[in-house]
Amino acid sequence: MDFSLNEEQRHWQSEARRFSDEEVRPMSLARDQIADPRATFDWDIIKKGSKLGFRTLAVPKEWGGHEADFVTQTLVMIELARGDSSVSKTFSQCWKWSHLVAASCTKEQKERFLKPFMEDDGYLLGKGGTEANAGSDNRMPPENDPKAGWKLRAERDGDDWILNGSKMFIANGSVAKLFFVDARTNPDVGIRQGTTMFIIPKDTPGFRIGKVFNKRGWRFYQNGELVFENCRVPNSSVMGEVNGGVKARANDKSEFGDIELAANALGICEDAVGMAMHFAKTYKRAGKYVIDHQLVQLKLNEMYMLTEALRSFVLRTAWERDRKLPDVGNNVLVMNYSQEVVQRVTKANMEIHGPEGCMMHARVDKLIRDALVWTHLAGDTVQRVKVVKRLPDMPLPM
Amino acid sequence: MYDLQLTAEQLEFRDAVRDFVTQEVQPAAIDPKRLEPFEKPLMTGFLDQLSQMGLRGLALPEAAGGAGADLLTCCVLLEEIAAGDVDLAMVLGETALLARAVHEAMNDSQRKRWWPKFDAGERFHLALIARDDDAELGWSYHHAVPADADVIGAPEVVAERDGKGWTINGLAPFVSNAPVAGLFIVQAKIADGPGTVSVLIGSDAKGLSIDDELPAFGGGGERARWHHGAMAAVTLKNCKVAEEDVLAADAAHRLLQGLVARRSIQTAAVNVGVARAAYEAAIDYAKMRWQGGAYIVQHQAIGMKLADVAIQLEAARALTMKAAWITDHPEAVSERSVNDLPWHVVARTFTAQSLHRATLEATECFGAMGVMRDMPLQKYVHDTLVLQHSADCDLAAPLVVAEAVAGYSRS
Repeated sequence: MDFSLNEEQRHWQSEARRFSDEEVRPMSLARDQIADPRATFDWDIIKKGSKLGFRTLAVPKEWGGHEADFVTQTLVMIELARGDSSVSKTFSQCWKWSHLVAASCTKEQKERFLKPFMEDDGYLLGKGGTEANAGSDNRMPPENDPKAGWKLRAERDGDDWILNGSKMFIANGSVAKLFFVDARTNPDVGIRQGTTMFIIPKDTPGFRIGKVFNKRGWRFYQNGELVFENCRVPNSSVMGEVNGGVKARANDKSEFGDIELAANALGICEDAVGMAMHFAKTYKRAGKYVIDHQLVQLKLNEMYMLTEALRSFVLRTAWERDRKLPDVGNNVLVMNYSQEVVQRVTKANMEIHGPEGCMMHARVDKLIRDALVWTHLAGDTVQRVKVVKRLPDMPLPM
Repeated sequence: MYDLQLTAEQLEFRDAVRDFVTQEVQPAAIDPKRLEPFEKPLMTGFLDQLSQMGLRGLALPEAAGGAGADLLTCCVLLEEIAAGDVDLAMVLGETALLARAVHEAMNDSQRKRWWPKFDAGERFHLALIARDDDAELGWSYHHAVPADADVIGAPEVVAERDGKGWTINGLAPFVSNAPVAGLFIVQAKIADGPGTVSVLIGSDAKGLSIDDELPAFGGGGERARWHHGAMAAVTLKNCKVAEEDVLAADAAHRLLQGLVARRSIQTAAVNVGVARAAYEAAIDYAKMRWQGGAYIVQHQAIGMKLADVAIQLEAARALTMKAAWITDHPEAVSERSVNDLPWHVVARTFTAQSLHRATLEATECFGAMGVMRDMPLQKYVHDTLVLQHSADCDLAAPLVVAEAVAGYSRS
């Protein structure tokens, strides 16, 4: 076994660490504390990070990207998330969809959409699936109800499609310039058979951003409502085939979305561990350094243990994806595991800090608020149930 | 025997409060316009209405114009209020707690001067400025800075003799109910001697000033406000107190005795109320939300969460009520019917831990809706976190129980 990183991986890791420490962390709390959810975003940090390559990290070299492997992507997400989890996610959301573009778009579509994405430091990507009454149903459509799942309708009109309906909680919703949108093109069958995926630029007539959601955590990250009112999209902007939207998505074998969340959670855990250690070694309570109390030693042990276990699992899973080893569900399991770990580690950080008078350390509170988002991310419970079908009869050796 | 059967009178009072909270308080408290902003000003209109229902005087003897409720009854009612709004429950709980204690500690002349004011104005609340004898709860772990330094946030108030009265100077950084108090009970260190003196100071006294309430984020954004109810710093500058407003030393001692324990048990009841609101919301939602071809309550994953929340909630309530009942019946301990334990710590710490978990589980039933600020679930999670990490509750607080069961005391 060899756990060492190669030169390129180390390079990206140290670039991300420097950017995270010098640029991301200093702006993190101030953005978190802006009350208006539309005003928390900071284009400056996005553009700076983009110039360093963090926006286009996952794009194939053929199209001018860095084509970083999964281990590298994981390392960068961890470092950025240590500075601010939601800034990290804003960048990696673009990688998530550049994997999809690479896997499922035609050459002509890549010309049309990937090129401007590569050229513009403020060009972000988003994807619209979730709707007010379609969350878990999209991930695990019930067999007894073909109508379950997204309702956004697309109807053919000559060479175009007309879209009507709305999407909810869409990541990068109010800031992305390009969206991949799931729409029903056959409402009489289940979503696996009746969905088409459309590639829709932000300035398409009939398409607008509605509400920007106001969340307890991940306040920098923008989740918006996408509204389609007789939005006209050319047939040439269909990704994959008509009624083949779910297949177009499945073409992307990277399973990036799950590793992504686990890696990001690991960044938060590292931040929490660092804060707890610093506090415990710097401050005294009841006559001795906080770290000299057994209770705190046990908490620090727990925080390190969980964080290091998560790191092993995350990087092993990324390594498996890089080697295209058989997919035995580890990407989902590691995401599920990260959900529990990030809750426990951020909470332990709060326990070690404790209240001071009637105040709490604001970043300790922020990490817990960010971690709260994991309780539902990517439909955590649904994924737990769904992955069982993919698990081998016995755990396989590596 | 330990008896949880409420009398017809208690039931009537509880139901009146429950109806008011359900119909008036809760809809306003969870209005997105209130939920979304960081700042959540105290809903003083409801505070006044609840006061008119007699909740400030809940624990006052009937002879003094109160409801004469024991601690168990107080807990039942505080849970009802907290299910609507945690801040209202904390303010009323503090006033009710102090009203009972200070009324008893006053002499006749003090009662004659102060109680008509308490009776006359529903906005007349009570606040206490005192050094908590057991501020070092939990091996003084979180409260004390180095042994030679001071307790974080503890008041520094000094009294100097001034003829037959006193001149009071000092600062109390965090005083519950300060923004709404009509009367402050102030315990001050005697400047030129040992011991303390406890005095009564009206909110309109010259030299007493109350700071603005803390912003949601302070100290350059490095600190987050972390309390419930109404809280502010109080400054006393050459504040003159006449002899007639000095509490008798033994009365002042009795006033403070047991106050921390009663407050902890009341806080546990408030915690139960907060978690109950999350629980009820989750049940309603699970019966209404349709995903996966069924109402989500029918999915085992959700059913198990709801069951766990219900079990945690009932266990926490049972322990809180038991702790309250034991406080109301100290003979149960002395006559060896129940164990001699710091029951307020048992109830407070168990409730805080189990109900944070329960509230998180209730929130998970809502998926993404659970973290949205226009929905109440994320606030309930926050409220239970504050209850788990504040004042009398922290990582080390349960160690007080270890001291009691093993019969040693912290060094």
